Formats: sequence, C-alpha cells, structure tokens
Amino acid sequence: MSVVQRNNVAVHGPPDARPMVLAHGFGCDQNMWRYVWPAFAEDYRVVLFDHVGAGGSDVSAFDRDRYASLQGYATDVNEICGELDLEDVVFVGHSVSATIGLLAAAVEPDRFGALVLIGPSPRYIDDEGYVGGFTRKDIEELLDSMDSNYLGWSSAMAPVIMGNADRPELGEELTNSFCRADPEIAAHFARVTFLSDNRADLARVSTPSLVLQCSQDAIAPETVGRYVHHHLENSRLIQLDASGHCPNLSAPEETIAAISSFLAE
Amino acid sequence: MIPEENLLGETAEELFEDAPCGYLTTILRVNRTFEIWTGLTRTHLLAGKRFQELLSPGGRIYHETHFSPLLQMQGSVREVAVEIVRADGSRLPALINSVLRRDDAGRPRLIRTTVFDATDRRRYEQELLYARRREQEIARQLQRSMLSGALPTAPGLDVEVVYDPGVRGLEIGGDWYDAFWLDDGDTVGLVVGDVVGRGLDAAASMGQLRSAVRALASTHLRPAALLDALDGYVRRHGVGRMTTLVYAQLSLGSGCLRYACAGHPPPVIVTPGDEPRFVWDGRSLPLDSHLGTGGRAAASLQLAPDSTVLLYTDGLIERRSRSLDDGMDELLAAVSTHRDDTSSPLSGAIVRALHDPERTDDVCLLTVRLRETDTG
Repeated sequence: MSVVQRNNVAVHGPPDARPMVLAHGFGCDQNMWRYVWPAFAEDYRVVLFDHVGAGGSDVSAFDRDRYASLQGYATDVNEICGELDLEDVVFVGHSVSATIGLLAAAVEPDRFGALVLIGPSPRYIDDEGYVGGFTRKDIEELLDSMDSNYLGWSSAMAPVIMGNADRPELGEELTNSFCRADPEIAAHFARVTFLSDNRADLARVSTPSLVLQCSQDAIAPETVGRYVHHHLENSRLIQLDASGHCPNLSAPEETIAAISSFLAE
Repeated sequence: MIPEENLLGETAEELFEDAPCGYLTTILRVNRTFEIWTGLTRTHLLAGKRFQELLSPGGRIYHETHFSPLLQMQGSVREVAVEIVRADGSRLPALINSVLRRDDAGRPRLIRTTVFDATDRRRYEQELLYARRREQEIARQLQRSMLSGALPTAPGLDVEVVYDPGVRGLEIGGDWYDAFWLDDGDTVGLVVGDVVGRGLDAAASMGQLRSAVRALASTHLRPAALLDALDGYVRRHGVGRMTTLVYAQLSLGSGCLRYACAGHPPPVIVTPGDEPRFVWDGRSLPLDSHLGTGGRAAASLQLAPDSTVLLYTDGLIERRSRSLDDGMDELLAAVSTHRDDTSSPLSGAIVRALHDPERTDDVCLLTVRLRETDTG
C-alpha cells in the first residue's frame, strides 16, 4: 500500500511550486482545511492528507504499536514528504498536528522550511509549574464523551464509519461524516494526543515557526501558546482575534492573512 | 379569522421562554427552561460566556474537536451528547442540536442551540454499556476458564499454544483447543475447533463440545468414529451445529498420527528435510451440517522424530484483503521461515508473522513437536 493511499493524500496547485503540507488535528479530517487551502493553491503545491484512522485513510494501516506515540504520526508526515519528494516544505499543523510537525521537523530538519503551528500544545495536562489546562480525569471524561456519542452509531453505523464501501447507501445517512472515525482508533488517538508530553521536543527544532494563538481557546490556552513561543527558537507568535480552537474554520480569512504575512517575510 | 396565537393564548415570548427544551442563541439569549434546568441565571450566562464553557472539561474538548468543526462545515449538528455543569456543580446530561446562521458575507453570526434533558436516557445508556462490557468480560472469563489446564508434557513432546482473541472484536468467538493424554499413557489427543457464532452462546457451546470430545476420546474412539459420535451429540442436544474441528491422536512411541478433519482447515505437517505441507486427506463436512456428514473420513501418517504438527483455526489465515489461498501460502512461508528458529516458540513467531491489524476473529494455533529422545 502506498503512503498516498494510506493517508488519503490530495495534492493541488502547481507541481513545481513550494510545497505546503496541511495536517488536521484530533477529531476530524482534511476537510478542516476546506476554507484555507484554496487561498494557497495558486502559489503553493498544497498537500492535504488524513491521519491513519481518520477520514478517508486506510484503516487497515492502523497499528497500535506504530501509533503508540505522536512520533508514529510524525513518521507518516516524513514518509508523505519523502514519497512526494517535497523540499523546503511549509508545514501547517492544527492542534495536535502542530506537535506532530515539530517531531517531523526534528527528525528531518532539512526538509522543512517553515512551520505554522495553529493552537499548539506540547502538553495538555497540568504539571508542576506548568498549566496545560486539563487534568487526567478530564481526559477520561473526554473518552466517556466519545463513548456516549458513538453509542448510537456502534452497530448500524460501524461499517460506514470504518469506510466500508460495500454499503454505499449507508453513507448518506451519516450526517457527521466529516468526523467519522473508527471508535477504537479515535479513542486511541485521543489518549495518545492528550496524554503525551512533548515539551522537551521544542528544543529540538530551529525551523522558522509561526505560533497562531486563538482567543478563548478551550484546548490550547494563551499561556500555552506563549510557552511554545518562548521555548521554540526562531518562532513568532501571532495572537488572532478569532475565538475557539479552529480558526481555520471559524475565521479562515484572518488565518490565511496571518500565514501569508509570515511566509512573505 | 382569529390569529392562532390568540386562540391558544400563546405568545412568541412564551414559546421561547417556556419551550419544553433549553433554548439558547449563543449566548445572547437564553430561555427560562434552561435557567430552571441548570440553575444558571441569564445574568451569569449573558456576561460573555460561551456555550462550551458550560460543559464538563472532557465535553469541552469534544465540543472543540468534533462539534464545533462539524457545525462550521455542515451548518448544523444533531443529537450530540454532552454534560452541562449546573450552578451547583452537578451535571445535566443533555442532548444538543445546533444550527449556525451566517451573515451575508458568509461569516458565522450566531448559533442556535436546543438542549434536551437526557438524564434518564443517559443512565439507561450507561446501564446498556455496562451490561455489554460485563457480558464481554463474563464471556472472556468463561472462555479463559474453559481453556485453562496444563498441556501434556513428556520427554520427546513439545506442545505449545497461542490463543489470541480478536483484537477489535466486541464479543468472544467460539475457537478452542485441547491436548490431553489418552489412557494408554503413550498417546496424546489433540483438538482444535471452531464453533459458529460469537458471544456467550458460542462460548457455552464451545465448552460443551470440548468436554464431549474429551469424554469420547477417553473411550479410545479413533478419529473418524469420534467425529461420528460427536455428530450424534450435536444432533441430540442441539449444540454447536456446523462446528468445524480437527481431532488427532499422536502416539509418542510409534510416531503414528491419526487425524480427521470435520470441515476444518487442514493441519500443517513439518518433517525434517521437507518443506512444510498441508495434509488434505481425512476430510469430511462440519458437525451435523445441512448436507449430512458425508461419512467421516480419517487418515494417518508416520512422523519422523523432530516433526511438527500445526492445528489452527481459520482466523490465522483469513483476512479481508487477501484470498484464502494467499493466506495459506503465507502460513507455509511463515512456518518455513521460523521452523528452525530456536530463540522463540514457533507458535508465537507464526502468529506474529501472520498478524493482521484488521482482524476481528480469534486466532488459535496449537503446535506439537515430536522430539528424538535418548531412549529412542
């Protein structure tokens, strides 16, 4: 199976332009970029993909050991860049994928020319002298929350959620399909995402980076954005007016403008 | 004509305030029902609060990572389960529906959300979830206890087993294995079987058949006769129709292996100096099948010292993305690769080599190696 199929890679824009790889976070899939990527498709070779277990990725490629830490997802990013032979990559990572991009750049610094980190958090759980915003109990609650919301889908919807092409008629019933995911893989991804601690990895990266911090972000509070900026050499922090955790959806124009101005420097 | 609202004495305000659900336009307006259910006052709510701030921390993450993106992309979201934190800190389990309204320029303008009290429903769901998990746990325990017991050991005999429950299966399967001494003290009985279906029923049927095979084997029935007798048992007691199994008797003294396969994947034989191979004789239909039994066949062969016999269930060779033939080829290839590897048990190496992350079926593999002993 090729990496392109595994990660449902989609490429837009001029083939010889500078590549821009957009990585979605926990919860949905590459549709998260639908209001953002077209703005870059004239000047960049835009690469979209789904993490394994999300969207149109190949679920059979999921392996608990490989994806036991965010490093597994970062390896996927490096493999995608390798297979497409991308150089001087602009990596745009939302939420947990900001961390995934940092890990990918730490392993292959020469491949990445710039990182855009939207709502990054290197650790979600509070620690001594560090406020991530959550406790371990909160994360358990998230898993419960995912459980109750998958309840209604569990048997009838499972084939669709798992991307079963045998019964296309079910596809239309699944209104929440942008966030479809195999429940067990989603729970695994949630655990890996919210229980990981990548604070020490910030020092491994010196790629020019932009931290895009939202207002009133319930997942990555402003103190965390400042922490990332402070510990990440060569980084800039832009505070967005957009509130919430998904400015790529709620305030695409402001997001596009911030990324463009950073890349124009 | 009298306006309907007058006829019923309802005003738009009443329809909003006292609707039988919580109603918010986030968060610029909130109705009375929501205030009563949550104990949160509108003074508090309208002071710049956002809806997700009313949720439990876990629910807030869910909201930000699933609900909110869906709402932005689809314009509406239905039936999402959340817990709203009341003024007194207790939780209101709720189901919420939201619609997003945009302005003329397409920018999000406001979100309307209805909130339905789901206290009883959530409790019931939790009971169902609990019951399902408990049933799975009981079935697993039952399966474990039925499959427990020491494997026969003797100089010149290595018996190993790997039993790997389907990773993503919700319920246990009906695979089983068994290995025991027959009364003569020289012969071991070997069994691998697969009961149709999943869950407690399958586990219970498996337990019955396993005991029946043990009891019948102790009467020194040869493999074909044992399958015949087992057919009768299945028919009389209505247990385990269409079960497949392989039953074999291995004499340590003579190296004679007698076996009979009832609709089960063929054993693999590994003899020194030869490539691993399937044995395709001694086959007949599954137990009490619709087509009758077709007569129970058996076969035998002579095993040289250092030969290995592999009995297994179809979970080892079946997977969605490849044909059964490919799976069988892969099994032979894996046996060939690992047959002489003394660093780890053969059964474990083979199961790992054929590992299928997508597998939901159980995998059972019994390997029996006949070794040369000093006494010959």
